[in-house]
Amino acid sequence: MNVPLNTLPFLEIECRQLTKTGQSACGDDFQWAKLENENRHIAVLSDGLGSGIKANLLANMTTTMALRFMRSNMDILQSAETIMDSLPVCEVRKISYATFSIVDIHDGGRTRIIEMGNPSYLHLRGTEEVPAEKHTQLVSQRWPDREMDVWETTLRLGDRLVVCSDGVTQSGLGQRRYKFGWRRQGCLQFVREKLAKFPEMSARELSDTVAMEALCISPDRQCHDDISCLVIYYRKPRTLRLLTGPPFHKEDDARFAALAASGADQVIVCGGTTANILNRELNTTVEINMRGIRGCDALPPPGTMKGVGLATEGILTLTRVTSDLDSGDWEKSPRAAREIIEKLLSSDCIEFIVGTKVNEAHQDPDLPVDLEIRRNIVKRLCGILENKYRKNGSITYI
Amino acid sequence: MKIRLEICCGTTCYMLGANKLLHLEDQFPPEWRGQIDVSAVPCNDVCNEKESLRNAPFVKINGEWIGNATPERVMELLAAKMQEE
Repeated sequence: MNVPLNTLPFLEIECRQLTKTGQSACGDDFQWAKLENENRHIAVLSDGLGSGIKANLLANMTTTMALRFMRSNMDILQSAETIMDSLPVCEVRKISYATFSIVDIHDGGRTRIIEMGNPSYLHLRGTEEVPAEKHTQLVSQRWPDREMDVWETTLRLGDRLVVCSDGVTQSGLGQRRYKFGWRRQGCLQFVREKLAKFPEMSARELSDTVAMEALCISPDRQCHDDISCLVIYYRKPRTLRLLTGPPFHKEDDARFAALAASGADQVIVCGGTTANILNRELNTTVEINMRGIRGCDALPPPGTMKGVGLATEGILTLTRVTSDLDSGDWEKSPRAAREIIEKLLSSDCIEFIVGTKVNEAHQDPDLPVDLEIRRNIVKRLCGILENKYRKNGSITYI
Repeated sequence: MKIRLEICCGTTCYMLGANKLLHLEDQFPPEWRGQIDVSAVPCNDVCNEKESLRNAPFVKINGEWIGNATPERVMELLAAKMQEE
């Protein structure tokens, strides 16, 4: 049996944010929603007036409202007016202020970008910039100084959209080379050069590269403003299959092993018994790398299954991966968890194949740690990947 | 001939002390260096066999599974093997 994973175009949406030096909260906010019924994605990036907590609140209020209004297809001008009316007025500047960019992508790539006060978006097909199909400017009677641009375009497979806060376009300001900052043109040139060199660059890598470059060209390499770079990549999905747990019926072992052999770009095997089944069925072996185990005692070291991919211990490792992805902090995680997280995050469609046979040794009451049932951990992990990391996840029990 | 020491890194063994065995090589006396091949192996389900459920962690020395493998016990067994050699 060979089940190919979902190969429909996928929207990889990633936003890299850097907080202004000295502040405890980012004054830009990013929010995203996927409307399953309409096969529609909405991403909002907002930059709140000033920096720190106050700016964070303004930006957060803006993204939350904008997302809600867009979901319910409310009129754009009315939405913007409601947002402006609702934002608290800054005591210092006597204005209520937050800029925003809304990207609304419909089924088939039909896209609308609404911008107020943010630098204009980039639409790239390969390294070429794609002009918008339609442009309208809207002005509110109540807020006449706040113009809004509405752009319409169509995404084709392989296209990228880049949306930045002014912390990116104004980075470098004050440096001899960037008298007026990096500007949109400088950022565009940088992205084009990167894509010429690395045509397959993921949204995650590109958003990170742009944000880090904005930081690098800033005086003293410090963030003089909050930096946000949102990248949307309409791509052929990268697929990953994670197999964990032995099948309930031994007769299913061969079918289970076949799923590891083909049908996905990457494969991860979590669990010793699982690995043994695959070793037997696929006539392969697991080699555990003993290097780098020092100081990483929390989890057994990962290995490589010849011809298949990464192989790790099961329950402990998956539990750690789940909690680290939930908290968003895995910098100091043991190697096995970090390697799985890296692979999960560099994939778009993730299929979990969960064997449902219960390991009796794990039910021993003398074990020092309570081990959760495998299927519960996987369910939670899949939910986190979908809701927090915008992945397409699915679980098959065997 | 080299002695082969394989440390089970399955969930149960790891929780019950196999993590300490991974650093056992640091305790080898100088004359043992290069004589013992230490590696980690995935769970082999030995812990699931009825009699041995409570005997984790397990190691394999020259192909033979040994339970209750505390660092002290493994060092003793290795010393005995070294003498045999």
